Amino acid sequence: MLVFTRKRHEAIVIGDGIEVRVLRVGRDGVRLGVTAPSSISVHRREIYDQIRAENQVAATTTASAAGLAERLRRTSREQAATVPVKAQEVSG
Amino acid sequence: MSEPVASLAEPLATIPTEVTTRFGRFAVDPSSVIQFPEGLPGFEQNRRFVLISSDDVAPLHVLHAVDGPDASFLAVDPRFVLDSYRTTLAIGDRLRIGAAEDTPLVWLVLVATDGDGASVNLRAPIVINPSMMVGFQVMPHNSLYPLRHPLAGD
Repeated sequence: MLVFTRKRHEAIVIGDGIEVRVLRVGRDGVRLGVTAPSSISVHRREIYDQIRAENQVAATTTASAAGLAERLRRTSREQAATVPVKAQEVSG
Repeated sequence: MSEPVASLAEPLATIPTEVTTRFGRFAVDPSSVIQFPEGLPGFEQNRRFVLISSDDVAPLHVLHAVDGPDASFLAVDPRFVLDSYRTTLAIGDRLRIGAAEDTPLVWLVLVATDGDGASVNLRAPIVINPSMMVGFQVMPHNSLYPLRHPLAGD
């Protein structure tokens, strides 16, 4: 890992067009400003990790898709008209 | 001294006409292939998915990876789960999928199950520009929506 000492308003540059600047140094935290091309996504580590973990759970979902779909159809009241529902389910 | 770069890209796998997922066997519409240039968080190697729609699972869809390691998800339009669901895309995020301000977009959220309960990740939806068939998973810095919202009265 590269380690830099930076003062307030100082920055580092990563690759072509990515800059990380120290905006404020407080007792409990450092405020950083990131400038990057729109094709580069920048996230707080903990948010990224949370979403990655939730994706891992979603990728191991083993419930019956048809069963979940049926529950969803039953409970989505407002949208019911646009959901294909079999005739016997309507009369039942 | 320069290295040849043309050979670095792996040839794309051909799109199968049928796939077997843990949700069942489905026919694949070759026009339903969606590029995810960055993959999904945790699934960075899966750059192409097919979005499967079938009467058996509607309004759910199966999002199944056609390259990279095996991966498939159940996904649903978030407005089927929460009628009031609204979210917008920052300009930079729109550019990532080649969308203008008025480009119609497709939104999907992933389904997770925990025991008998099922939830959807309303915080990090997947957005797709259907005119270019390219998408990514939105990771908003500030979202009022939870990672786990009950799927249907759970």
